[in-house]
Amino acid sequence: MHTVMIITFMFRSVAYTFIRHFVEEEIFVKTITVLFLSALLISCAPTAKNTRIDEKHVHEQGEFTKHYKESLFQLSEKGMYSVELVLKEPELKTGINAVDIIIHDKTDRDVVDADITVVPWMPEMGHGVFEKPVITERGGGVYTVDNIILIMSGYWELRITIKEASFVDKAVFEFRDVKVDRGHEHKMTEAPADLDLAAKKLTDNKMFNVSYKSMREPIPINRIHTWELAVLKADGSPVRGAVISLDGDMPEHGHGLSTQPEVTDDLGNGKYLVEGIKFSMPGWWVMKFNIQSGDKEDTVMFNLMLKE
Amino acid sequence: MKKSFYRVLLSMMIIAVLCASSAWPLDLHTWSEDEMTTLKSLWIGSLPPVPADPSNKYSVDPKAVAFGKKLFFDNRLSGNLKVSCATCHPANMNFADNLPLAHGMGTTTRRTMPLIGMAYQTWLFWDGRKDSLWAQALGPIESPVEHGFTRTQCASIIIEHHKKDYEELFGPLPALSKRDLPASAKPSPEEPSALKAWVSIPRDKKKAINRIYTNMGKAIAAFVQTIMPTPSRFDDYVEAALKNDFSRMVKTLANDEVKGLRLFIGKAKCTNCHSGPLFTNGEFHNIGLTQPENLPPDAGRSDAIAKVLADEFNCMSEYSDARRADCSELRFIDTDTYKYIGAFKTPTLRNVAERAPYMRAGQISTLEKVLEFYRDLKPGQRSADLEHGELNDLQLQQLEAFLRTLSAPLDFAK
Ligand code: HEC
Ligand code: HEC
Ligand SMILES: [Cu+2]
Repeated sequence: MHTVMIITFMFRSVAYTFIRHFVEEEIFVKTITVLFLSALLISCAPTAKNTRIDEKHVHEQGEFTKHYKESLFQLSEKGMYSVELVLKEPELKTGINAVDIIIHDKTDRDVVDADITVVPWMPEMGHGVFEKPVITERGGGVYTVDNIILIMSGYWELRITIKEASFVDKAVFEFRDVKVDRGHEHKMTEAPADLDLAAKKLTDNKMFNVSYKSMREPIPINRIHTWELAVLKADGSPVRGAVISLDGDMPEHGHGLSTQPEVTDDLGNGKYLVEGIKFSMPGWWVMKFNIQSGDKEDTVMFNLMLKE
Repeated sequence: MKKSFYRVLLSMMIIAVLCASSAWPLDLHTWSEDEMTTLKSLWIGSLPPVPADPSNKYSVDPKAVAFGKKLFFDNRLSGNLKVSCATCHPANMNFADNLPLAHGMGTTTRRTMPLIGMAYQTWLFWDGRKDSLWAQALGPIESPVEHGFTRTQCASIIIEHHKKDYEELFGPLPALSKRDLPASAKPSPEEPSALKAWVSIPRDKKKAINRIYTNMGKAIAAFVQTIMPTPSRFDDYVEAALKNDFSRMVKTLANDEVKGLRLFIGKAKCTNCHSGPLFTNGEFHNIGLTQPENLPPDAGRSDAIAKVLADEFNCMSEYSDARRADCSELRFIDTDTYKYIGAFKTPTLRNVAERAPYMRAGQISTLEKVLEFYRDLKPGQRSADLEHGELNDLQLQQLEAFLRTLSAPLDFAK
């Protein structure tokens, strides 16, 4: 009986080593592929954005020309205009977007003073959005479209209507795969293996010594709660009357807290009350504090690894 | 010598087969310390006692519960005398109507939500536009597609039919004549004629009407709060695991269900949002669902933040019993509307198998399809919270089998 157990153990550890090896191998292959693809993409990527290619801007009769190197180019449905679309960011994403539209007519004249409307549309779902894009004419046939709010990922069209006196024409730009914007102002990073989970730390420029204590232990998930923050000077004396702001972040997920916590009370003796903290899920969280006292200002970040 | 070698080889082969099929019961039911913590956090036994609602001082008063129950089932509180809360939240169907969109006096643009463990919810409705159960109850009553009723009509009904119940709880009813209570009067910008009638009522009378209306909401809330889950097979399993009662564990859940559970708390990362004993974090997420074609676009939480802050019946309003300091959720509400475009409240998964169709507008008809939806979200289309490894068909079946273990009858004030 005993032998069987030992052998079972041996067998399983051999199997694990094998599997681990295999997984590492796969990661290696993936890394190479990703590197190769990125290299390919970088080499294809445009070197200069929004460069006008027709510096001379010759107006010839009868033919439409592309004026912006990185633009998406289209003729309007009735063939009255050429419409160019320049994205302000590499691609459209869910959330707020902005684009430039450049319009020329058959004689390659800049179309100015036209009445432009832009409707974001999901053709597969037959709906648009609840807020209208804002259009500002820039002159020279350029119109900036702000506040294009795409409410979900998927297949979108930007339907553009151009009106000049009694002429009306349309152009539709398709965006087959608008993606979720992965968190704004939140960078995505993986948790390092040796995460420093200390609850007491020196600020980044060593001006203050900061520690936190949660009024609820263990730190809860899905529950609004209060912390007490203690701020000391380098010599160990308390920092009174500091101005403190804070923010929380889930670096692996690219999102922040689901509340907006604040320091609501100066408890004296370098202690401060932080109210309104709430963590919406388990995992790695970073709490960042900015501390200002007199002419000194410094920041500190605490890592938390929360479990249910 | 030779014989023993073969014996060893044979046992290795048997073990290999057992390992590969992972039907090895010991392994299947062995949970690490971390996994045990997660299991315990999902267990019904981890539900804390019902927290008091500081904004409703009647929330646990048995008289309020009894009165609220009457009102919950009262058809008179509707424009056509046919709709009560129970029309869309029938008690014999786990308080849900199992329709893609709800039908009252008209059709809503969202699905009826299950009412399970409501006492623990911070934000109410799919978009969280209400911050208490009593304020929530007052919404459907004045919605033209639900009860199609008004607060003035409610006051009339209370005065006429529920005087005794009301006065025992809330004290004497204010003196309001028929003339003070025009039928169609409510502060609703969508219905200018009703708005005009409301604005024309003298201020102190308006307050008196609102007081009756909010007290009514508080009684209904006291009843709704009593609707609670009871232990499901999953809970029995966790209880057995906590007691190290191996044979009971094996008897309680089938192998597929346990594998599904392992995926749910592990690789599939469902507990990122479906966490805690009610399987919801109560937060708002855009999971990349598409809005049905026949419905208007729905911005979800993004549009509700200002609504709850401006709500005439929120935690900081004059009709709330809470001190300002007790209104933490409202005081520290995240006002980043951009972040919540298309985000909706994570629904509880208790009794989920009993209430198809799914999602905020009933756009997915079966559990199987819900799981396919989660699997087929392309990496670029899903937020990092929804990131999970490849899931194959068998694993989806296991997840579904697990979700089916979460059913159990609901308990509520009898
Ligand atoms: C016409 C059908 C209908 C009627 C009648 C109705 N509801 Fe609902 N209920 C719904 C729908 C639909 C939702 C989700 C609405 C939304 O998110 O906009 C909902 C949501 C809720 C919620 C929120 C649950 C959560 O998790 O946030 C509660 C609580 C609730 N209803 C209780 C009631 C009460 C109490 C009444 C009677 C006063 C009532 N309902 C009347 C259809 C109805
Ligand atoms: C990022 C948070 C998040 C994660 C992770 C997540 N869900 Fe959900 N889940 C939601 C939200 C939000 C909804 C409702 C969405 C809507 O209707 O717009 C939902 C809806 C559901 C529903 C429908 C319930 C009902 O009553 O309509 C089921 C079933 C479900 N999820 C199961 C799962 C499973 C299984 C997993 C793991 C594979 C999972 N969820 C992962 C947030 C999440
Ligand atoms: Cu997260």
